[in-house]
Amino acid sequence: MLELRPILSALWRHKISALLIALQLGLTLAIVSNASVVIQEREERIARPTGIAEADIVTAHFMPIPKDYDLLEAFRLDMDMIRQLPGVAAATISRAPLAGSGSSGGFHTKPHQEVGSTGAAFFSGDEHFIDALGMKLVAGRNFTPSEIRIMESSSSERPTITIITQQLADTLFPEGNALGKSLYFGGDDNPMEIVGIVERNLGPWPNSSVAGNTVFFPAIMETQWYDYIVRAEPGQRDAVLKLLEEKMAERDAERVIEVKTLTEQKTRYYAGDNTMIKVLTGVVSLLTFIVALGIVGLTVFWITQRQKQIGVRRALGATRTAISRYFLLENLMIAATGVALGTAAAQIFNQFLASEFGQPALPLSTTLVCAFILLAVSLTSALVPALRAANISPAMATRSV
Amino acid sequence: MLKMHNIRKSYRTDTIETHALRDFSLEVNEGEFVSVTGPSGSGKTTFLNIAGLLETPTGGQYLLDGQEVGNLSDRERSHLRNEKIGFIFQGFNLIPDLSLFDNIDVPLRYRGFNAKERRRRIEKSLEQVGLSARAKHLPAQLSGGQQQRVAIARALAGEPRFLLADEPTGNLDSLMARQVMELLEFINQWGTTIVMVTHDPDLARRAHRNIQIVDGQVSDLRQNIAADEAAIA
Amino acid sequence: MIGYYISLALRSLRRTPILSALMVAAIAVGVGAAMTTLTLNYMMSRNALADKDDVLYAVQLDNWDPHEAADNPSEMPWEITYKDAISLLRSDIPTYHVAMHRWGGPITLEDSTLRPYTAQARVTSRDFFALFDVSFVYGGTWAGEADNNAVFQVVLNKSTNEKLFNGENSVGRTINFNGAPFTVVGVVEDWHPSPKVHDLNNGDFMKSADIYIPFGLHRVLEIQTWGNTNGWKPEKIESYEDGLGAEYVWVQYWVQLDSAEQRQRYEDFLTGFIQEQKSQGRFPRPLKFGLSKPSEWLVLNEVVDGDDRMLNWLSLAFLLVCLVNAVALLLAKFLRKAPETGVRRALGASRSAVFSQHLVESGCIGLAGGLIGILLTLAGLALIRQLSMGYMDSVASMDWLMMLSAIGLAILSSLLAGLYPAWRISRTNPSIYLKTQ
Repeated sequence: MLELRPILSALWRHKISALLIALQLGLTLAIVSNASVVIQEREERIARPTGIAEADIVTAHFMPIPKDYDLLEAFRLDMDMIRQLPGVAAATISRAPLAGSGSSGGFHTKPHQEVGSTGAAFFSGDEHFIDALGMKLVAGRNFTPSEIRIMESSSSERPTITIITQQLADTLFPEGNALGKSLYFGGDDNPMEIVGIVERNLGPWPNSSVAGNTVFFPAIMETQWYDYIVRAEPGQRDAVLKLLEEKMAERDAERVIEVKTLTEQKTRYYAGDNTMIKVLTGVVSLLTFIVALGIVGLTVFWITQRQKQIGVRRALGATRTAISRYFLLENLMIAATGVALGTAAAQIFNQFLASEFGQPALPLSTTLVCAFILLAVSLTSALVPALRAANISPAMATRSV
Repeated sequence: MLKMHNIRKSYRTDTIETHALRDFSLEVNEGEFVSVTGPSGSGKTTFLNIAGLLETPTGGQYLLDGQEVGNLSDRERSHLRNEKIGFIFQGFNLIPDLSLFDNIDVPLRYRGFNAKERRRRIEKSLEQVGLSARAKHLPAQLSGGQQQRVAIARALAGEPRFLLADEPTGNLDSLMARQVMELLEFINQWGTTIVMVTHDPDLARRAHRNIQIVDGQVSDLRQNIAADEAAIA
Repeated sequence: MIGYYISLALRSLRRTPILSALMVAAIAVGVGAAMTTLTLNYMMSRNALADKDDVLYAVQLDNWDPHEAADNPSEMPWEITYKDAISLLRSDIPTYHVAMHRWGGPITLEDSTLRPYTAQARVTSRDFFALFDVSFVYGGTWAGEADNNAVFQVVLNKSTNEKLFNGENSVGRTINFNGAPFTVVGVVEDWHPSPKVHDLNNGDFMKSADIYIPFGLHRVLEIQTWGNTNGWKPEKIESYEDGLGAEYVWVQYWVQLDSAEQRQRYEDFLTGFIQEQKSQGRFPRPLKFGLSKPSEWLVLNEVVDGDDRMLNWLSLAFLLVCLVNAVALLLAKFLRKAPETGVRRALGASRSAVFSQHLVESGCIGLAGGLIGILLTLAGLALIRQLSMGYMDSVASMDWLMMLSAIGLAILSSLLAGLYPAWRISRTNPSIYLKTQ
């Protein structure tokens, strides 16, 4: 500790350079900690459980060509064929979740309501959909085959029963016992009785405000295109994908067929978040690297400048350790100043990002962890030059530079 | 050529104020070779810096070649330094990265000569100091005496009327020192005014006139000697 | 003198290769990061309709819920209802007007080995090509009656014509689209503006349509849009016809108004139209409509989203750190040369000469940093193209203007970074370096 005063006075003579290093570390801390909190939030968002067996699911998107296509016959033939395929656990006709395309609406718990609805995405599906998506029924029952309706897109028929997610049940009926209660579309008086509750389903848009609020109707909607959702036995997905592509074209080539894994569609949906994570991670590591290089560069420079001084110290009996310690202590004092500045800057930067871009608040713990890491990086960067400084010969003292 | 009247120079730190020169007055005539001696810390270097327009005095009047330089801007002073003054240092102060040719080129660049004129002058001044063959060498490849001759060539290339030398032989052995001294005398004979700071009493004696600076003030030995002689007579 | 300074700068850079490389790297990385996001933002802010920015307008009508405004910054639905589109198309005020939406379906060709594939289509009224300046290679647009009656005609883009008919003049030939035969009446140049200013509801940077079909086919084909459909009003929809008559918004509407007077007349027309609808019980909200120029439309639709802008700020902060880094390293480098500077001062260099010399040296570092920065930017953009899985392909690329900007930014940054160190070295008292220690 005796060394602090001479270090401080030496630093004072280098105050601008020292300040620049501290400033760099401070700004870096502000950026790195804010980037970390964004990365963390996005990662958690992507890692959220979807409630479905996404890793085992393959979807086949198909669009019939002729206007008078016999859809029901095609469904029957396709489904029979698909369910026979080796490695297939379950299959259904619906729309792929997590893919960024779907329908949503406002739901009420009483008839004839126009305001105050709860938004939810809705899917139609048959009695196989729970199984095909690998969802978990936590209350009530599944649809039965006789309840499935084939509906034209502009049909006036309304479903009379529904299965919803636990999250929606809790939102609509906070007191519990949603089972047996009814849902209504806005302004409508057709009750749709909740016959079952599934544990979870993020729906078509996991990043939207309705994510997790999902409603299922016992129907097959007649539209321009369909998704077959096929769940493979664990580990069989890729084989099933290939087989599906082949067999569907074999059964009827005159239609547009696109077979994809659900994982791919989910990745595609999260591409923006993923880009953000990767870019920010890149920014954080590059920045740390640049700062480390800067510290190495300046430490080397200072040591070169003070070679003679170091030689004198050595000649006067300073040990190698004492010389290294001197430079490390010097670095630590600069870095500590920088980190202190940075902690404040990080909060200010976070205020800006939060108010302007709705980013999450920065907890002090994240800043502190980043600060600690940066201190370590700074010391490590100074370590090599500091050790080299210790090797400067006492003979330097007598040499003129 | 050089006329200083009541020059003062003080350096101030947080705690103390040091007077490097006090009421310093000196006149050096055109074509003179003046040596300046004095103990360490007497103000020799400060005098040289002020004479060479590297520093400005705190007070007093300085006329260089009849021109009052106290109120000139940095650009004007630099221009004057470049055109009228040549420097020679104890440590030679050649730029280590530059070849001899490029070292001598430095002041000519700041003068704004064209490439042809610069080449002519560089070649001429290298010839004067007998180092034409080594124009492409780096300073580190030369002996100390040779380096000092290059430094002299660099000082001469701009054809200054006034040469300031700070211990020009201080880092040289006696043989080389003598050669450098002879070179300076030769230059002086061609009309260049020289002021040389030195420790060496033998060298000091070879000048027309020796000035001693003691404690920031001049004591003119020649005048003293003259006064002594007058007294004896 | 500049030439002399540049040769000195190069010499100096060679003399301290590691320190110089560090500085070049710092500037290059900073510029690379900043230019990557700036390029993205620049490309995302491009306006393909800039030439007609003063005469084109995206039309919005506020037919929304009396209880709450539409949930977007304009507080009006982005699209309009089918029935309003049909009504607006009857106006003869605009020079051109277009009602349109995205659609698609399988294309097949009789007697061809072509495998059926999904084509992106635009269902539009006939003025589309004139309004958006999409030029014809062969043929022309369909007749006016096709906007109101079922006429099975199609305009292909050049790529589709290449694929289906090997690029021959296919006017008069027939394709099968969604199971119905369509006669080709024209072939247009490929038109894929990015961002897709004319259609900002379906992926701002995705490709536009391959084929164009007339607006009069909805009833016979029962077309359901492939774009967004939004509604607020609970309505009984028992047939396709009910859907067309509902308050659902799903049609994009653009007009060309060439003069202020024409615009005024059109505004009066819209006001009158809404008032008339109000008297029939529609348009429950206060009277409001929107006419946005393409440039305004891009901003209103937040094509450059929060993430993009945040990255922009972040990368500028990154550049700032790199600059501070460069300042520190430059200071170290320049001070190391202080003795040489002392000699130069003695030999007649003025302070401003020393300052310029060092600033030129900073500029050279900046130039090198800028060149490497361009490479890093290209790498950064390639990475973003890959990570975004096709969503950003059309915007994550650099044009010559951005390359020049990269160099400019690098030089500017390094000059800024060099300002203080150069000033500092030019102020250093030369005499202390001239004396032998």
